[in-house]
Amino acid sequence: MKKFSLKWPLIVTSSLIAFLTFVVPLYGATVFSFRGNGGKGHSFINYQWLIHADGFYLNLFTSLKLAVLAGVLNLLLMVPTMVYLNLKGQRYKSLVDFLCILPLIIPVVSLAIGAQVAMPKILQNTEYELVFFFVIIALPYTYRALDTSLQTVALKTLVEASRSLGASWTRTIIRVIVPAIRGGITGALFLTFALSIGEYTITSLLHWETFPTWTVVAAQQNILGAIAISVFSFVGAIALLSTIAIFSKKGAQHVEVDE
Amino acid sequence: MGVVKAPSRVTSSGRGTGVLPLLPFFIFTGFFLLWPVVAVTLRSFHGNKNEWTLANYRPILKAGPYFHAFVVSLKLSIVTAVIGSILGAFFAYVIVKYARGKFGAVIDSVSAVFANSGGVPLAFMFVAAFGTEGIVTTTLKALGWDIYAGHFTIFSFTGVVMVYSFFQVPLMVLVFKPAIAGLRREWEEASTNLGASSATYWRRVGIPILTPSFIGAFFLLFAGGFSAYATARALTVGTVPLVPIIIGTLVDGNVISDQANLGDALAVGMIVVATFAMAGYIWAQRKAARWRSS
Repeated sequence: MKKFSLKWPLIVTSSLIAFLTFVVPLYGATVFSFRGNGGKGHSFINYQWLIHADGFYLNLFTSLKLAVLAGVLNLLLMVPTMVYLNLKGQRYKSLVDFLCILPLIIPVVSLAIGAQVAMPKILQNTEYELVFFFVIIALPYTYRALDTSLQTVALKTLVEASRSLGASWTRTIIRVIVPAIRGGITGALFLTFALSIGEYTITSLLHWETFPTWTVVAAQQNILGAIAISVFSFVGAIALLSTIAIFSKKGAQHVEVDE
Repeated sequence: MGVVKAPSRVTSSGRGTGVLPLLPFFIFTGFFLLWPVVAVTLRSFHGNKNEWTLANYRPILKAGPYFHAFVVSLKLSIVTAVIGSILGAFFAYVIVKYARGKFGAVIDSVSAVFANSGGVPLAFMFVAAFGTEGIVTTTLKALGWDIYAGHFTIFSFTGVVMVYSFFQVPLMVLVFKPAIAGLRREWEEASTNLGASSATYWRRVGIPILTPSFIGAFFLLFAGGFSAYATARALTVGTVPLVPIIIGTLVDGNVISDQANLGDALAVGMIVVATFAMAGYIWAQRKAARWRSS
């Protein structure tokens, strides 16, 4: 008995809306970025301008550096915290959960103003202060990513086995837990990385220059160039995260099979 | 619990040592998250001569540009949260129902990029598409519809609504998808067995179960739209008066106010609004969790 199915009408409608709202602006920007001098014809001139522009490499490097540091610091802080929470610290879980949701509640603008008031001068004098705030901003996402993946493994059993075989805590975390939750770790790492590399609000309010703030300044000279940068960073981010998604999906399935 | 007895240190942590491994986390969030909020709140109650005062809050509470900014910001976040939650819920349903495996994973990460890149690139992309010389604008003009004939510009309130929807919709997809995926097959089967049609199932079971999650997601979108800064900043350069933008201009020293700590009061005002939104979110989450735990 075959029922009338809504399947194709739904898929077609949603694809159409998605096309109009997401693909068209992206496509429009891409076409625009290949415009030639004075907006005429097609060329790579805007991308050429981009890579030769003053500060392109410098700021891209700054952003990459800060994003990598934020990703690493985030893991160093959150992996042990989340492992302990899921193992023995259940009592504190709702408190940690709440603290990790806070960066979604507190407007980033307010956090930035607060940072200006509260941070010691020695920290405010170096661009590395941004790393700490990038980690804070990524907390809601990394908490989820790590928590979800920790809940899919038999953590207690793994830890007890490893500890009773004489491994230290550090060794247990590095050799047993980290491989078991590598899907969550990759997710947390790349989310932090992606958020940090595109972060604008705190960076600009604390008066630092990174790739996104440089883009806004560059746009005042050359809007076509700024659009080229935007397309470049958007397409790059999608490609990166899609690859990670496919990759970590494999990892997750692997863990399920193991259990 | 386990058959294997773990070394004593694993099991015998007393009450006192229990919190120790969490100290780095608590110190980190305490210093970089809570302390800035406390500090800005304290300073917002201080005047130019460092005396305690409520003067910084007065311009926000009486009619004027700062009060108006809160109205515009609230309007913007409500409108984009409505658009985002409705469209996003629809997408989430279609994705859960029909997109699986690798394609589903790609959609997830594309949503994540769209939802989180509410930022500078987004603004410039929309200028390229819907600006006066934009591809969409010129194409529609060639087809006989000049979208700039009326009041519309991409740098206006409507423009900002369009751009914000671009990240609100995928954010809704990310937040709401688990709720739809959590609808159990058995519930639909049970109601079908009891003679309910598909429409009855949705009206009596599906929608009531999803409502708390939907409301929660709405509050989250509202809070996100209310706090967003980068996109509006890059797009409008201040033509649409939003609270975060005004704070930004005060911080940059582009606008001189005779009250040094007015920006702090605005920042605290934003925290207050966002706290209400998040209280709504947490309340709705609790309601939604009832169905998951059983």
